[in-house]
Amino acid sequence: MATMTYLQAISDAMREEMRADERVFVMGEDVGVFGGAFKVTDGFFDEFGANRVMDTPLAESGIIGTACGAAYAGLRPICEMQFSDFIACGFDQLINVAAKMYYRQGLPTNITVRLPSGGGFSGGPYHSQNPEAWFMHSPGLKVVAPSTAEDAKGLLISAIRDHNPVVFLEHKHLYRRVKGDVPTGTYTTPFTARTAREGTDLTIVTYGAMVHTALEATEDLDGASVEVIDLRSLVPLDTEAILASVRKTSKVLIVDEANETCAAGAQVAAVIAEHAFEDLDGPVRRVATPDVPIPFSPPLEQALLPSIDRVKEAARELLEY
Amino acid sequence: MATNTALAAASEHLTLDDRTALLRYMLLMRGMEERAMNLYRQGKVPGSFYDGFGQEAVSVGSSFAMSAQDRLCILHRDLGAHLVRGVTPARILGQYMGREGGITGGRDGNVHFGDHRLGCVGMVSMLPDMMLVAAGLAMAFKLRGEQRCAITWFGDGSTSRGDFHEAMNWAGVQKLPVIFVLENNQYAYSTPTASQFAVDPVERAAAYGFPGETVDGNDAEAMFDATRRARERAIAGAGPTLLEAVTMRMHGHAAHDDMKYVPKEQVEEWRAKDPIDRQEARLREAGVDTAALRAEVKAEIDAGTEEALAMDMPDPETATDRLFYEGEEEIHLGDGNAPWSGFAGGDR
Amino acid sequence: MSSSSTETGIDVVMPQMGVSVSEGTIVEWRKQVGDWVAYEEPLVDISTDKIDTEVPSPAAGRLVEILVEVGTTVDVGTVLARLATDAKPGEPHASESDAVGGTVAPPATSDAAAATGDSPAPATPDPAPKPEVAAGSAGAADTRRYSPVVSRIAAEHGVDLAQVGGTGRGGRVRKQDVLAFLQDGAEEKPEPPMHIESPYRPDPPKPKAATVAPAISTGAYDPPAAEPLSRMRRSIGEHMKRSLDTAATCTSWIEVDMSGVERERRKAGLTALAFVARAAIDALREFPLLNAWLDGDQVTVHHEVNLGIAVSLGEDGLIVPVIHGAQDLSPEGLGKRVRDLARAARAKTLTPDDVQGGTFTITNPGQYGTLMATPVINQPQVAILDLEAVVKRPVVITDAAGDDAIAIRPMCVFGLSWDHRALDGVLAAQFLAAVRDRLEAL
Repeated sequence: MATMTYLQAISDAMREEMRADERVFVMGEDVGVFGGAFKVTDGFFDEFGANRVMDTPLAESGIIGTACGAAYAGLRPICEMQFSDFIACGFDQLINVAAKMYYRQGLPTNITVRLPSGGGFSGGPYHSQNPEAWFMHSPGLKVVAPSTAEDAKGLLISAIRDHNPVVFLEHKHLYRRVKGDVPTGTYTTPFTARTAREGTDLTIVTYGAMVHTALEATEDLDGASVEVIDLRSLVPLDTEAILASVRKTSKVLIVDEANETCAAGAQVAAVIAEHAFEDLDGPVRRVATPDVPIPFSPPLEQALLPSIDRVKEAARELLEY
Repeated sequence: MATNTALAAASEHLTLDDRTALLRYMLLMRGMEERAMNLYRQGKVPGSFYDGFGQEAVSVGSSFAMSAQDRLCILHRDLGAHLVRGVTPARILGQYMGREGGITGGRDGNVHFGDHRLGCVGMVSMLPDMMLVAAGLAMAFKLRGEQRCAITWFGDGSTSRGDFHEAMNWAGVQKLPVIFVLENNQYAYSTPTASQFAVDPVERAAAYGFPGETVDGNDAEAMFDATRRARERAIAGAGPTLLEAVTMRMHGHAAHDDMKYVPKEQVEEWRAKDPIDRQEARLREAGVDTAALRAEVKAEIDAGTEEALAMDMPDPETATDRLFYEGEEEIHLGDGNAPWSGFAGGDR
Repeated sequence: MSSSSTETGIDVVMPQMGVSVSEGTIVEWRKQVGDWVAYEEPLVDISTDKIDTEVPSPAAGRLVEILVEVGTTVDVGTVLARLATDAKPGEPHASESDAVGGTVAPPATSDAAAATGDSPAPATPDPAPKPEVAAGSAGAADTRRYSPVVSRIAAEHGVDLAQVGGTGRGGRVRKQDVLAFLQDGAEEKPEPPMHIESPYRPDPPKPKAATVAPAISTGAYDPPAAEPLSRMRRSIGEHMKRSLDTAATCTSWIEVDMSGVERERRKAGLTALAFVARAAIDALREFPLLNAWLDGDQVTVHHEVNLGIAVSLGEDGLIVPVIHGAQDLSPEGLGKRVRDLARAARAKTLTPDDVQGGTFTITNPGQYGTLMATPVINQPQVAILDLEAVVKRPVVITDAAGDDAIAIRPMCVFGLSWDHRALDGVLAAQFLAAVRDRLEAL
């Protein structure tokens, strides 16, 4: 066990897997000598060399497409998008080649695509997006989004070992802000939800950075007992865990950092409406980012991202309902 | 007519059996597509139907140069490459008809397939996405230090897309063992090449740092030889090659397309250059009984048709199956057939 | 719901509520001409000789015409009303918008033209007659709404939510409120008897339009105008009269000590009826001739007990839903079926099957303390058991030592009306004794 930041845990996962399995390699823009825009692969170049820490041309479609080919030839590429926003440039390869190949042709695509995502630091419209719903709507992709250092490592190792294309959303805001005890060596974390805090009066369903927002907002909320479910995996979605919590508390607040429409939380709300209707004692409420691009200037950005106060207010309203 | 020129083009690397095999695969491709078209007209083929009539030499000639360990990303005009790799007629006809016994088991249609057990990756409709996939296959070979090669085919329209650039650039930068076959069949759907590019894309290869070569796409032996040379370069570590196979799409984009946008004279001009007629003339001159060959091919297609028609349609209950692979065993591309005599003695 | 399309919209027709039903009577129009009706929103209440029900609208649209007035009986398939489906809910009309101010867009009739002295009405009628009529529909009742989980818990435990105090926003009943209510011993409260209880509340009388000058009083009693009986009342009346005309009805009574029943039903959170029903079923298995139909000289003795339970619908009348295969149910199961059927009866959602095939009936009108009744047999059955009020009474008991004493016991008189054509008094007496013995042994 070692104390690591969320970022170190991600590095550690890749380092351990690359040491254990020579098929695993990292490819992306500036991941080699420079160590990556966020220094996730810092030191990798020296340990593993240019072939396994591959600086690629600035070509996102190229990164995903060649990763697919390498996977079909038996390698296990980890693709780093410099920012999750740039996956738009590689979307076709991800959606049309990687996601569908196994269903169509029986040929699995063992690639992991790491997406530094999320806002909160004046990244502006192209360095702040939470694009997970794009992938949720593309059958054939698994989508995971850790909130803790321990889960970041375990989920990433699971993703690398998974036979299928896994989109790994690592929240930039958590990179150095979140620390925790992380087991040494390799271990896998299942693509299921985790109860971040047990409670009986209200369930908050969320994932990624919003797990911390939800925990902080309801740490001491008029003495209420608030359960926080950290989804960890969006595809597959752990509907059993969601429904079990709803059956217990009968009230649900869903928090998304992503834009509201068709976000992961919208799917969670739909699952609850369909399967837990008779357990509800109030409307299913959502707190999410309004449907606009993420603006640059701090007051504008902070006005949009779900804040502790907004989560508190929504939780209070539901508790009083 | 260019018969004499064609006769002279015979590759010194081909035995008479090889040259007969080239004709046989081309006859098989054309016969299969004609049979599939008939099944389509009989209402047995759902969706649309695409063929490579007139382009048989491109896929047959180039895939004939590939070894068992090489990997292929095949375009929908290139049924011949699947046949060379060893996919049986019954499984292809079953594929057209959406049967359970087709290569994709009804998950995808028409020529959108690749038998991964034979080293082929099934194409996607977004051309030329597979250029990058082929580059990735080649990248893996290079990373592991293997003397293998990847090949992919794409059309003139594909050269307008960004993935063409990304793949050409990537392969050039990393000197990948990959062969890009630009199948210039004069039209992308109804759009002529004059509306597609200002400079013949074969010229672009130099800008990416590797050679580009224009080949007579209606000559199977020329296609074989150009591909053989490109493959030599690739496995020697000299990097990629762009081959521009100049040919003509003799049918519409798909079965519904009457191709009225193509001038009649252009069709007539290319009819005279039919790749099968050309190869058959060569072999007759060499004393091969091509009539017997044709009868043999027809019998094979008839048997395949019968087998395909007997295949079940897929079970609707399975429509949501096979989204993710959760098995223990690794599934990768397998080795395919490599019928060229040059590989017979363990040559790669 | 049956419907048929017309060029302008949808016709609403009298539905067939069961294979043998050929006609129905309009009880109440829930919507007035001009009202917007949502798809499947209750449009009209109808009554047939099998069942009373509400008719959901076959489409969303505006009610443009009512063709059959309240109280009128028409054949199945008759067009009752017309809906304009091209109307839009956003178009204002009296029931949706104050802005209309309750005015009616008068139809362009020749009368109107004549009245104003204008030139004749235009040759073409007004396009798209949007019937913006005055508000006529009753406003929605101001009742509390309950969340799905509260409704489910209430249904599972038979809780009357009107009795539950709410601590949520605006006095809303929350999950914890209904759980607390259950915790506080809601089970202890006896469920009200079925027969005379009903959520039905008659509409306040509508003010009659003062179009006719009041007659000058002559000083003599001037009775109000007679009104026809409701379809259901007529149907019940005919059925009862036919029974008395047909059967040789006799009634026998027996007194039952309900101490055991009272104790057990409190424990189980059930009504006495559930235990009486179970005892009656057991006694019927012992004396199957009472679980029978008599039709002329043909008697059918049933192996299964399809138990009818009389449910009062207040002034509307009475309906007897049937628990099919009641012999297989425990007192708890019987209690649940009784609740479900009573709820369906009051909600008018019983199906024809729910009211057919009864082999024996129990009626339970004792809430107001009545001691005895002579129930009328539900033809073609041969007997009906009547359960009256449970009243504490001094009774003589004999203790284990054989000594007599006077004790206070909850007593109830059970009456059995039986058809002397089918059986004799001894059997009726034996049956009643069997029921009593079972209940006193609890």
